[in-house]
Amino acid sequence: MKLPSALVACALTLPLTTTIADAQSSTRPPVAISRHLAEARHLSIGSTIRLSTDHAGTQARDFTIVGIYEPTPNPARLGTPDLEVRFHLPDLLDFTRAPATLPGAEPISGINVALTDPADARAFARDVNARLPAIDARPASEATSNAGPFLVLRRFHLAIAAVTIGAATVFLLALTIMLVDERRETVGVLRLIGLPVRRILVQVLLEGVMVAAAGAVFGLVLSFASERLINGFFQWRYDTALVFVRITPDVAMTCVAIAVPLGAAATVIASWALLRRNALRLARR
Amino acid sequence: MTIWSTTHRAMAMAWRSLIRQPTRASLGVLGVAAVGALLLDMLLLSQGLIVSMRDLLARTGYDVRVTATEDLPRNGPRLHDVQTTLATIAGLPAVRSALALRFVDGAVDLAAGMTVDVSLEGVTGQAPHPWTVLRGRDIHDSGEIVVNDSIATASGIAPGAELLLRADCGAGAESLPPSRLRVVGVAEFPFELANENTIGTTLDTATAACGSDGPEQANVILVTSADDPDAAVKAIRAARPDLGAATNEQVLGRVEQTGFTYFRQISSVLTTITLSFALLLIAVLLTVSVNQRLGEIAALRALGFSRSRVVADVLCESALIVGSGGLLSLPIGAVLAAFLDRILKRMPGIPSELHFFVFQPSALELHLALLAATALVAALYPMHIVARLPIASTLRDQIAE
Repeated sequence: MKLPSALVACALTLPLTTTIADAQSSTRPPVAISRHLAEARHLSIGSTIRLSTDHAGTQARDFTIVGIYEPTPNPARLGTPDLEVRFHLPDLLDFTRAPATLPGAEPISGINVALTDPADARAFARDVNARLPAIDARPASEATSNAGPFLVLRRFHLAIAAVTIGAATVFLLALTIMLVDERRETVGVLRLIGLPVRRILVQVLLEGVMVAAAGAVFGLVLSFASERLINGFFQWRYDTALVFVRITPDVAMTCVAIAVPLGAAATVIASWALLRRNALRLARR
Repeated sequence: MTIWSTTHRAMAMAWRSLIRQPTRASLGVLGVAAVGALLLDMLLLSQGLIVSMRDLLARTGYDVRVTATEDLPRNGPRLHDVQTTLATIAGLPAVRSALALRFVDGAVDLAAGMTVDVSLEGVTGQAPHPWTVLRGRDIHDSGEIVVNDSIATASGIAPGAELLLRADCGAGAESLPPSRLRVVGVAEFPFELANENTIGTTLDTATAACGSDGPEQANVILVTSADDPDAAVKAIRAARPDLGAATNEQVLGRVEQTGFTYFRQISSVLTTITLSFALLLIAVLLTVSVNQRLGEIAALRALGFSRSRVVADVLCESALIVGSGGLLSLPIGAVLAAFLDRILKRMPGIPSELHFFVFQPSALELHLALLAATALVAALYPMHIVARLPIASTLRDQIAE
């Protein structure tokens, strides 16, 4: 649902009562509510809600719901329903103004500015900071204080991935040693009919690359399939539109770039120990 | 022949099979060790935060928290008319003592024109203060403060020095006049964040720093119950139904439902993936190993080894690989847990005393049980191959080869 752009986002903890819309609804200030709030209180467009800034319900006012929106997914509030109401800023200021505060003297949290040329953001912020010392202006790209948790989680997942790769490499090496061992007789015969070690090694390497590439492709297919499964489960579990797993081309390329050389290297290392043995011993078993 | 002696012989046979291929066996054990370490860490992570938080809450000595709403302290609105509320709560028979606490953000001027952001905790009430004095003494009067080590180190101050605090009480854009405060001690705050600069003082000092913004307000009232925290909560709710009161366990329950769910879920997913991975790889290792020794196993059967005996050999081989790897996974897991804990503790808003990976005997028991189950399930298919092995035809095939 498209909402008027002038609506201001504000997450408030407000006592809320619902009344049925009536003929006066057009005179009441309009608000938009989050889907979570609409579902929790069985509200719909046209309903009238009574809001108050304190739990005692003093100075409560009626508002008309004109829109229901999907709240912006926020990982910091995972598991907590976003019970939000969005007002027009003048309505909000009028509603929350302390008796001693003059209209127009209320504080606000911030002002979002859309520049004609976004490339001017840094210069514009510098200009504002110079002219208005009490104001802190920052380009949107630098206002990323909430990125901290994501960076930490990224590092955590990378560390887990590194351990998993380490374990997989060890297992891979064990498996390839066993598989190569199964073919010692064939290798012995190839050596006896005159194929040089390097030629056999190249053959083994190519075989390793093909097997590793096939494994990597299979892994990617499995990842794409599980991506939907994992996202579906967590989005259902937390009732959020957040995307938990996203396999980007970069991620896929990184996986292939790690898996294929690792698989090929494991095959060559496992074969190298075998190829160094005497050909007669290999062929005789 | 007793079960014990059969197991002992099967173990000895499996051991000989493994040491005959030392590289292969070592790699198998190493792989299980790495996977086991990851599994152990995921089990520690699944409950680590809650265990750590419970420990932290218990260490403070308060077992009930009273707030204006059901929100966690600092997230919800403040309590008003604090002195009356505090007196009401402290006067209840089920309550031993109570302490009101207000959080205020601000900045402290340091030497050379530098400032540091600080978090001020203003307290009032009869209960012990929520900090431990390390040097100097505790606060007694208005205008006195204790600072944490982070501030003491950054500013090079000691008890007796003065600090200039500029409070930011969220009242608006207007700046408040700075407050001159006297440092009387250096203290440790249980819930302070890593690298957070924390100051402890009286509630009236904190209120004055905020320009005396109305009657005294507080974010939370910390209560020590006389005996039973649940009875104290019940009494507080009866006396002040407009307030939210919760025991430490109830606070943990709320926290568990919100902020910490992600780590529990991610640990469940990674535990499942890790176990499947281990199961698949051990099963493949054992199957390939058994397939390579079919002739040898058939010869043993022909010599008189019973079917159950050769099946037990395979099971013991699996148990030896998983058991050795599992044992090795414990120290590796401990080191890895410390490393991962350091990474996660860099997350903003995490108290420095809180840990994501906390050792619990139940996690170790579950780890061992899961590894034992993995060893058993991974050995099922190779055991099936060995049990169904036709002796005569296998020996004939081997001779023909």
